[in-house]
Amino acid sequence: MSAGDGIRVASLDDIPQGEGIAVDKSVTGTDDDIALLRDTDDTVYALNDTCTHETASLAEGWVEDGYVECPLHSSRFCLKSGEVQGLPATRDTCPHRVEVRDGEVYLFPGETP
Amino acid sequence: MSERVVIVGGGVAGVSTAGALRAGGFDGDLTLVDAGEFPYDRPPLSKDFLAGTQDIKQIALKPQQWYDDQRVRLMNRTTVSALRPADGAVELVDGALLPADRVVLATGGGAARPPIPGAHSDRVHVLRTAKDADRLREALGSGARVLVVGAGLIGAEAASTAVRLGCEVVLADPVAVPLAAAIGAELADWLHGLHHRAGITTLHTGVDGFTDRPGGIEARFTDAGEPAAEPQVFDAVLLGVGMVPRTEIAQSAGLRVEGGIVVDERQLTSHPAVLAVGDPARTRRDGVLLPRTEHWEAAQHDGARAAATLLGTTPPPATAPWFWTDRHDRHVEAVGHMASAELTVVRGSYDDPAFAVFGLRDGHVVAAASVDDPMAVRAARRMIDRQVAVRAGPLADPSVNLRSLLRG
Repeated sequence: MSAGDGIRVASLDDIPQGEGIAVDKSVTGTDDDIALLRDTDDTVYALNDTCTHETASLAEGWVEDGYVECPLHSSRFCLKSGEVQGLPATRDTCPHRVEVRDGEVYLFPGETP
Repeated sequence: MSERVVIVGGGVAGVSTAGALRAGGFDGDLTLVDAGEFPYDRPPLSKDFLAGTQDIKQIALKPQQWYDDQRVRLMNRTTVSALRPADGAVELVDGALLPADRVVLATGGGAARPPIPGAHSDRVHVLRTAKDADRLREALGSGARVLVVGAGLIGAEAASTAVRLGCEVVLADPVAVPLAAAIGAELADWLHGLHHRAGITTLHTGVDGFTDRPGGIEARFTDAGEPAAEPQVFDAVLLGVGMVPRTEIAQSAGLRVEGGIVVDERQLTSHPAVLAVGDPARTRRDGVLLPRTEHWEAAQHDGARAAATLLGTTPPPATAPWFWTDRHDRHVEAVGHMASAELTVVRGSYDDPAFAVFGLRDGHVVAAASVDDPMAVRAARRMIDRQVAVRAGPLADPSVNLRSLLRG
């Protein structure tokens, strides 16, 4: 599906630690925007941006210790697997492979991490 | 470990208990008894579900498959009529006995129906179940004259939905500024003011009588026993004046009930085989009965604690209480105990599209409330839970990243 080197979507410095940014689906070619989420240990993860509960952007959520918390009703998702951790959301979200090389973030939309 | 657990009630507390039990490794029989078709989430009942933009399937707490995956036997459309701990069972409404080594009461509550004369009219509604919401929705056509009594969370949210649907809404509450204790007087006043700006007429009165008239119901308004405002005729009335915990089966089983089913900090009732969670549970700590918490997340936490008690594991750490409310397209969150703050600071201003209020005491955040700035409350919650020392100045400055304050 994707280019072998991934799509360069951001610089690491664009994403504050513990926060996220959304990459538009026109760039990723996916059905949903993709949230790039920088964990508190500086690892960057990518998940579908829209919370599986209601319309809210996970990129605006709280990122900490391996999880992102939805800004609307605090549903938590595992950054690695996209697995939902608690109500009100009930469905997992989709993770995407992401790589950081030389301070640049490369996304592989649709590829399992 | 017990082999057979029966959870009575399929609200967020009951379903959370089931989920936490399985997540914690419970391998016995797990049965959830619920009166409805399937357990559903209640917050949308005053918002999108009431507006008709979400249907019952969309507000299911869990997909049907979840119950199979988690080996939860969902006994729907039935109720438990009695606890029979001596027989190791609960009795269902049809008289059948369901074996139960331990029982978790997640019975929720019913809408309060104060004894106001005339309140039995078909035009008077309450809002607690999906059925209530379905019935109320039919009364909320464009141009309908609607009186909402009580401007707390449910009343305010339903009023907001009704005005969005084109109703002419009057919102009456004898309390001048609802929610003041929870989010601080200033923010509560601002929030209450949103109703007026959205075209709702707010009355600072109670209601002491209804009379059915041809084509409507007349409401009489009262202020401390004196007539206030002229009587008015409405097409529909919603009473949003609180809930009554459902404690009957606990009471008849001889469990201790005092304004709620009394539980300890592990959710154990006065009977060692019975636990209680969510709205009807009332915690006694160090001999003192605490107020019941009626919030969604608190119910979830109760479930996690009850599961830990049943499993004999360590319960998750307590966290500052949190709730949200949505009205007039503004998303409000609150955490902690604003009433205990000795100083409040506003981050941003009330005119901003997003802002937050922090309550401080002794150099620590004890509470916060936000309007369209939920991350401020998420930060505040961690400041409270981790007891991070913070100064008012940086908190009030929107250019300061709250996460940086959290790092200390």
